[in-house]
Amino acid sequence: MTRAPTPLRRRARREPSEGLLALLLLLPAAALLLGVLLLPMLTTFRDSLYLNKLTEPWLQGFVGLSQYGQMLRDARFGAALRNTLVFGVLTVSGSFLVGVPMALAAHMPSRARDLARVALLLPWAMPPVITGLIFAWLFNAQYGVVNDLLVRAGVIQEPLRWLSTPGLSVLAMVITIVWKTSSFVALIVLGGLQGIPRDLTEAAEVDGATRTQSFFRVILPLLAPSLAVAFIFRTISAVQVFDIPYTFIQQAPAQGLLETLGVYIYRTGIEFLDFGYAAALSVALFALSLAVTAVYVRFVRDGGQA
Amino acid sequence: MSGDVAPQRLTPGQRAGRFAALGALIVGGFFPFVWMILTSLKSEGELQQFPVQYLPSRLDFSNYARVFSEQPFAQFFLNSLTVSLLSTALCIAAAVPAAYALARLNIRRRGVLMTTIVTFSMLPVVSLLVPLFRLMRGANLLNTAPALILPYAALSLPIAILTLVAFFSAIPRDLEAAAMVDGTTRVGALTRVVLPLSTPGVVTAALLVFVNSWNEFLLALSFNTKLSMRTVSVGVTLYQGEFAFPWPLIAAAVVVATVPLVLLIAVFQRRFVAGLTAGGVKA
Repeated sequence: MTRAPTPLRRRARREPSEGLLALLLLLPAAALLLGVLLLPMLTTFRDSLYLNKLTEPWLQGFVGLSQYGQMLRDARFGAALRNTLVFGVLTVSGSFLVGVPMALAAHMPSRARDLARVALLLPWAMPPVITGLIFAWLFNAQYGVVNDLLVRAGVIQEPLRWLSTPGLSVLAMVITIVWKTSSFVALIVLGGLQGIPRDLTEAAEVDGATRTQSFFRVILPLLAPSLAVAFIFRTISAVQVFDIPYTFIQQAPAQGLLETLGVYIYRTGIEFLDFGYAAALSVALFALSLAVTAVYVRFVRDGGQA
Repeated sequence: MSGDVAPQRLTPGQRAGRFAALGALIVGGFFPFVWMILTSLKSEGELQQFPVQYLPSRLDFSNYARVFSEQPFAQFFLNSLTVSLLSTALCIAAAVPAAYALARLNIRRRGVLMTTIVTFSMLPVVSLLVPLFRLMRGANLLNTAPALILPYAALSLPIAILTLVAFFSAIPRDLEAAAMVDGTTRVGALTRVVLPLSTPGVVTAALLVFVNSWNEFLLALSFNTKLSMRTVSVGVTLYQGEFAFPWPLIAAAVVVATVPLVLLIAVFQRRFVAGLTAGGVKA
């Protein structure tokens, strides 16, 4: 805990001492953020201009922007980017389709409310790697419970090879990520719902609105800021997704379609020890995240967060 | 399914709809975890049946013993606990003063600072992977606890600060003003008035940091590769053989690794939901 070094004189010279105090209080946080996040980020920019591959140590040196050129010609980068965007669109929309009804259900007064809250928090708090492992097991081709339920329900005749069929493996991963992230959307929307005074919907119903009407005309517009915040956070985490695709790829022969930008960066840097090219890829991912962040910052500044 | 209805005015149809909605939420949230518990109690032979046998014929706890004998899982657990607790402590120690300054003091360019913090909260971890790896290698920190503690504290710091700013801002300024008129200093006002009142906020922020640190995988996988320095999130992936996935064993490891989180959630769920929804969350 930071302590001001000298007892501050009350009233006398309030402004300068307040500035100094603010500086002191901000110092530890600033040191951590600058030293552990900003400094490495800046070195990434520098690294991206240098060839630095541990497996070919004789190839070293400044190469300017050529690794960015390599990236644009790299089919695997193109595929990873496309996969990331496809997963992004599918999982973000999926998490809203599931998360908003979840929030409404959790918001209802009921005796099972505590249990519902735990059910809501569990997917959110579960480590993503473990989520990946669990769902890989649920989708197991031979003994998976998903296949079993589908066969029992008569939806399919034969068990499906979820993880080794390209299209199905994508679907399985989307379902996994949607399960994991819907509760995040639900939590934000729940926060929004709790901020809406009950009188408003009651007034609407007194005025003769049906429940559906009052939901769409009163509640949904008031939820717009929460939905927007959830949307932006979800988009950013979707762009950066790593853990779940990484776990799935360990068990899925159909890898190509599952490799996201995050996984490609990991493999380039840590598995193939190509630090230079990994840095260039990292800058691309950083730029993508920053673009979404910029939208968020503008949204907050324009007062969208009512 | 509508949100805000007083309970006494429900028709039977609505009651059924509400029951179905809550049921779906509860089953959907719990099922994967419950399925892992069931799987962990089955023997390998019992598992290889299709149609699937839902309940184990007899409870077989041997998988749990194997979790600890086939890998140093107790060590993984201890590592995770150490790393998560220390990064939480470090993060909160830095976040509380910073959030207080941002919420209460006259800071020029406060808006710019807040925007910067938001931007930090959105940095992709994987973009930091290689430079952080080299930084840690340079500082000789690979395969030590600080190699994870420092980045975990830093990565969770923005969201901890934002959560705490929201909580501090909600405390009436008059309370501090009164304390300061009574002769305490700014710092005294922080430690004696604001902090005790914002315990729920600090607890929420601390739980957020703890959960983030406990769950982190990428940095733990890359920085601490020595078996004795592995954390739980990486440890659970170590049971798979080259060709085989011993699912009952993996399931048991998953259950053990998730227990602390389930306990935390069960104990703090009310405060957690209130705190997260009040402070703004990040997945």
